[in-house]
Amino acid sequence: MKIAWKEMKKSKAKFLILGSIIFLVSFLTFIISGLANGLSQDNAALIKDLPDGQFYLSKDADSTYNLSKIDEEVQKQILIDNPNATAFSVQMGFVNDAEDKQHSVAFVASTESKLFENVKDGEIVLDSSLKEDGIEVGDVLTNNQFSGEFIVKGFVEQQKYSHAPVAFIGMTNYQEIYRVMEMQTIFIPGKDAPTLSALDSFSNKEFLHAIPSYSAEQMSLNMIVWFLVIISGMLFAIFFYMMNVQKIGLYGILKAIGMKTISLFKMIWYQMLVITAISLVLSIALSQAFSFVTPEGMPFHLTMDTVWMLSAVFMTVGFIGATISGIQVKKIEPLQAIQQGEM
Amino acid sequence: MSVFTIDHVKKTFTNGEIEEEILKGVNLSLKEGEITALIGPSGSGKSTILTIAAGLQRASGGEILFEGKDMTKMSQEEIRHVRATDFGFVFQSSHLVPFLTVEEQLQLMLDVAETKTSKKEQAKAIDEMLKLVEMQHRKDAYPSSLSGGERQRVAIARAIIHRPKILFADEPTASLDTKRSKGVMELLQELTRTLHLTTLMVTHDEEMLRYVDRVITMRDGYIVE
Ligand SMILES: Nc1ncnc2c1ncn2[C@@H]1O[C@H](COP(=O)(O)OP(=O)(O)O)[C@@H](O)[C@H]1O
Ligand SMILES: [Mg+2]
Repeated sequence: MKIAWKEMKKSKAKFLILGSIIFLVSFLTFIISGLANGLSQDNAALIKDLPDGQFYLSKDADSTYNLSKIDEEVQKQILIDNPNATAFSVQMGFVNDAEDKQHSVAFVASTESKLFENVKDGEIVLDSSLKEDGIEVGDVLTNNQFSGEFIVKGFVEQQKYSHAPVAFIGMTNYQEIYRVMEMQTIFIPGKDAPTLSALDSFSNKEFLHAIPSYSAEQMSLNMIVWFLVIISGMLFAIFFYMMNVQKIGLYGILKAIGMKTISLFKMIWYQMLVITAISLVLSIALSQAFSFVTPEGMPFHLTMDTVWMLSAVFMTVGFIGATISGIQVKKIEPLQAIQQGEM
Repeated sequence: MSVFTIDHVKKTFTNGEIEEEILKGVNLSLKEGEITALIGPSGSGKSTILTIAAGLQRASGGEILFEGKDMTKMSQEEIRHVRATDFGFVFQSSHLVPFLTVEEQLQLMLDVAETKTSKKEQAKAIDEMLKLVEMQHRKDAYPSSLSGGERQRVAIARAIIHRPKILFADEPTASLDTKRSKGVMELLQELTRTLHLTTLMVTHDEEMLRYVDRVITMRDGYIVE
């Protein structure tokens, strides 16, 4: 593929422009999907970061997490039968600091478990984003529905729920604030979690969608990302197509001297591959760097899985665009191609 | 002996609703080792018959016999193979590959023709060919830095480096001054002799006819002799 490479070396400007367009478009897609994913993480990191397993809601809750109440007797039996199981509840609320300033939090209380912070009554563990509000270890926090006080014991990273920082509290405190004795849900980690006749069970994914705000928000975010992917994918395909149509005169000359069709295809593919690969490497590197410089408050979360998936999509559509123009080149008579190139 | 025979070739172009018959049954045969010149008024169909003969576009009817095979019945791939190994073509404007040096243009042609000789022999052949067309001093130059005459000489070198049996040339001297034109014609004459080529060329320049063996005149899509 010497000829493909020689052309790129000689017409640097043209290929550089094409490459930078692909770079910019893919960079934009990476950043937007990083932000969308960050928002989704902000909404449900607490649940998303749990290992695979099964969630159980009471049958009368009608798959709605907020309405679920698990009977205490049932819960007790399940926790005995499944040593890994944990019962927990999440409710939105507020804590007041020493200056009586309110901070929105998601209170989480659970039975003893490795998966959640276990907090004694009268203590509280907060998501680290609250540090920025000036809260420190040892501070005393209060709540309007709660007679006692919480002493801040520590902070945890990346524990968010419904865009609010999570606040882990003891079960008895939780029961007092929300005036319920029952927990909302039971989680059993592992692939072979049992089906329990008294309760409805949900996979992690199904459970996320049982959180009302999550599924609605997720749908909009996914829509944005997929629209962007489709539009930028089409841009890719169109750019490669245009580049080759613009070079039709050259392909006419090469056909006229008797170059094989497969060699023309290889030339088209090679250039597409080189440009796309270089542009993608650059935008992957830059978008990863971007995640280090994003300000604390901006939710940005771009996983390598997403990056590879999007890169594969771009490679594929670039390939399709290049191949369609190749078919065009294959079909045209050499003379016709040369004459079109002269126009 | 005739190596190439055009028999009753027709060509019709459709422009929207209008069908126009440009070639109305052209008969023509080329003799081995001869230069045949095609002359006639502009628009009479000279370029059209030349490019059809060279396999650069399809005829609408008739037969084209090359080494006993009818080219009008060949597949695209068979015609490509004939173009790559047995034909050479010089266009009116040189149509070199813009991003290859003079030397690389000829190497590309050898690669396309799937020349079996060693790289060293190929380099030697390229060197000799460039000497023949007096271009060896510009072998590392790109087409954009060559004059019209130099480009045309490189185009001729590319058209014959792979030792084709038939050379087609469409007004190869049109963009050159008289002195350069004579140079190119002498070169074609010499190459036809020394390499046992058979050449079909289009020209409108009466001056050039003294370098050719046979003259055929076209008018309105017919040969008028
Ligand atoms: N691709 C084409 N489509 C339509 N008409 C064409 C095409 N190519 C050539 N012609 C027409 O065919 C006629 C002969 O053209 P050409 O063979 O180039 O003439 P010459 O080379 O003798 O000047 C002209 O009238 C020209 O307009
Ligand atoms: Mg002409």
